[in-house]
Amino acid sequence: MQPLANITPLKPAPRAGAIKVGNVGQVFKTSTQDVVALSDISLEVKPGRFVVLVGPSGCGKSTLLMMMAGLRQQTSGTILINDAPIPEPDPNRVGVVFQEASLFPWLTAEENVEFPLALRGVAKAERRAKAEDALKLVGLEGFGKRHPHELSGGMKQRVSIARGLVQDPPVLLMDEPFAALDEQTRMTMGDELLRIWAATGKTVVFVTHSLTEAVYLADEVIVMSARPGRIVDQLTIPLPRPRTYEMLSGDTFGTLRDRIWRHIRKSA
Amino acid sequence: MAGSLGIKVARIVIVVAVFAAWELLSRTGMVNPRLLPSASDTLATLWELLQRSSVRNDLAVTASEVLIAFILAVPVGAVIGFAIAENRYFAEVAKPLLFFAFSIPKSIFLPMFILVFGVGFSQKVGFGFFSTIFIVIMSTTTAVESVKVDHLTVARSYGATPLQTAWRVYLPSMLPVLLEALRISMIFNLTGVILAEMYASRDGIGHQIATWGENFQMKQLLAGVVMIAAIAMTFNELVRSVETRCSHWRT
Amino acid sequence: MSSTTLRRLIVISLILLWEVLPRAGLIPELFLPSLSSTLAAGWNEAGEYGHALAVTLYEVAISMVFACGGGILAGAIVGSLPGPRILIMPMISSLYAVPLVILYPVFTVWLGIGSESKIAFASIYGFLPTMLATAAGIQTIDPQLVLAARSMGATLSQRLIRVIIPAAIPTVLSGLRVGGALVIVGVVVSEMLISSAGIGYLISRYRTILDSQHVFAGVLLVLAMAIAFNAAIKWIERKASIWQTGTRAGQRAAEDIPVTAIQPAT
Repeated sequence: MQPLANITPLKPAPRAGAIKVGNVGQVFKTSTQDVVALSDISLEVKPGRFVVLVGPSGCGKSTLLMMMAGLRQQTSGTILINDAPIPEPDPNRVGVVFQEASLFPWLTAEENVEFPLALRGVAKAERRAKAEDALKLVGLEGFGKRHPHELSGGMKQRVSIARGLVQDPPVLLMDEPFAALDEQTRMTMGDELLRIWAATGKTVVFVTHSLTEAVYLADEVIVMSARPGRIVDQLTIPLPRPRTYEMLSGDTFGTLRDRIWRHIRKSA
Repeated sequence: MAGSLGIKVARIVIVVAVFAAWELLSRTGMVNPRLLPSASDTLATLWELLQRSSVRNDLAVTASEVLIAFILAVPVGAVIGFAIAENRYFAEVAKPLLFFAFSIPKSIFLPMFILVFGVGFSQKVGFGFFSTIFIVIMSTTTAVESVKVDHLTVARSYGATPLQTAWRVYLPSMLPVLLEALRISMIFNLTGVILAEMYASRDGIGHQIATWGENFQMKQLLAGVVMIAAIAMTFNELVRSVETRCSHWRT
Repeated sequence: MSSTTLRRLIVISLILLWEVLPRAGLIPELFLPSLSSTLAAGWNEAGEYGHALAVTLYEVAISMVFACGGGILAGAIVGSLPGPRILIMPMISSLYAVPLVILYPVFTVWLGIGSESKIAFASIYGFLPTMLATAAGIQTIDPQLVLAARSMGATLSQRLIRVIIPAAIPTVLSGLRVGGALVIVGVVVSEMLISSAGIGYLISRYRTILDSQHVFAGVLLVLAMAIAFNAAIKWIERKASIWQTGTRAGQRAAEDIPVTAIQPAT
């Protein structure tokens, strides 16, 4: 499969982005008190890496992701995507895939994928061609005319990924994209995502609750603690690629998973 | 709930502002006071009306019509509703018919009640019953359907007798919905009886309001409107406060 | 026997009974004239009924614009702004309990017994439930959809046109359904009470001279109006069925009107 050439015919090399997060803090003001959601977060994601954020509920990992997407502004610190701050969403630099399919139910799969292009006023024919390529990349060739309610949960998330990739952004942010799927579909989608990632060479930041998913997918896992959210550990996953199902029962996998679990149990 | 006091105050301010605007429009002559008597005059008239024995008598007549229609419609409607909800086949047959009966204007059948019962007490009660029964049937089916199958299965698996199931599963699950049903049925019932009184009647508060309107007695008319609105809203809020107390376990 | 067959049989036998019982003298013709004599009575006075229908339809159409247009607009505003919503919604549902029909005499004093008072009354009658249904529906729009559009760089107006309005369509439809039915009721009721034209007026006039056949001809005409309105809404809903299945609001609208969202449709 060589889908990359189809998506970006003019750019032969994969375009991957760098993310730099420096001393970022986030404080929510409520009527009674200020809540520190994130405190002094610094991290760096190198181009083309697959980084997973894990942590207990309410540790602010999704908040951090929303700030990288420009959907929310930090109280202090800096976030640079390809060396430039991101004061508002910029689909040319960052694509976002949300938890559960946030597809528009009144549009077909291909219209959903075309949506970000339509917002920029890209011509119909070009839009359609790019959407078809993106759908082919996520393995949904021939499903473009269906509406979201005619697709399974896993297929909907594939459409979401296609929508995130259609503008060919250097960074793909994923906020618990597989949380609503059943275990089997989730495993399949993990493999699919790794395949797509390998084909496109994007920088991926992926938020999840699942420790197994984190270790299985990541180059690097960033573990966060509960409120105030801080980084408590950073692990490089030494497992070779492509990842296989057999690795799940291996010793390395178990040790890494245990190490993350101990952090989370401590802070929960 | 830090903001709830502020919200209450804001609501009171809105109500006061409406009455103040009403008073001002009339007093300054921006609106002809004969068409819109001032709020203070209206409230004074309301007070005076409540002293009149004829008005009290009208209220008593209306109240008894409403009560009797309600007492008749609720058990009959509830039994039909249960029968429909418990039998799948019956439900499939009856539901679309009920929804249709529900969606057509009942008021066009008012002349039929007059032709059959004449103008009088039984005609009002009959029409009140007719306008209430469909909503009672529908809300009862909703109430029965709100009982979760999971809860019934759990009760069965622990060996609950039918009586225990009724008492410990059906009743608590249905109570909030049933209270809501009672409240809404009462609204329908009151509307039905008052409409019937306004349409053709010799007594009752609805008849009185229609008469005031025909004679251009705006003070009395508005006082009557305020009175009925106050009664209806008070009843509504009473049942709602019971509802909120019972609804803490409702998901 | 399938439930649909049985239901059709019930409807057909009801219609037959309507014909047979009065003819056999089991029900006095004064209470319920037979279907055929009702239809004949209506046919003989077709001109009169046609004129009355035109008046009623005119009033319904104008009131529909006020009630549904105003109700959907107000509901959209109240539903999308949390401040007014928390403040006003409980007050409105409390107003809901008031039998609005008592306002009609007030309107006749202010506006006379012509079409104006009917339009004013029916507009108010249909306004509240339309507004409540719309406000409730706007709140069910998934905030994730708006967030997703924002992440793709949609501007404020693009979010409104491409996301919020399409997502609100099922809500608007259910608002139309509730409000429109009530507008018909409001117009007919007010015509029956005090007026000089329209189907409601005809029903009342023939009632006072105990001409049951002509009363029921009018009743049939109102029934036909209600059925036609329901059918029209169903048709539109089918046309927009993509919306119906997709969103949470759509699922609610696809079921029949929730019991709590109904104004006393007397």
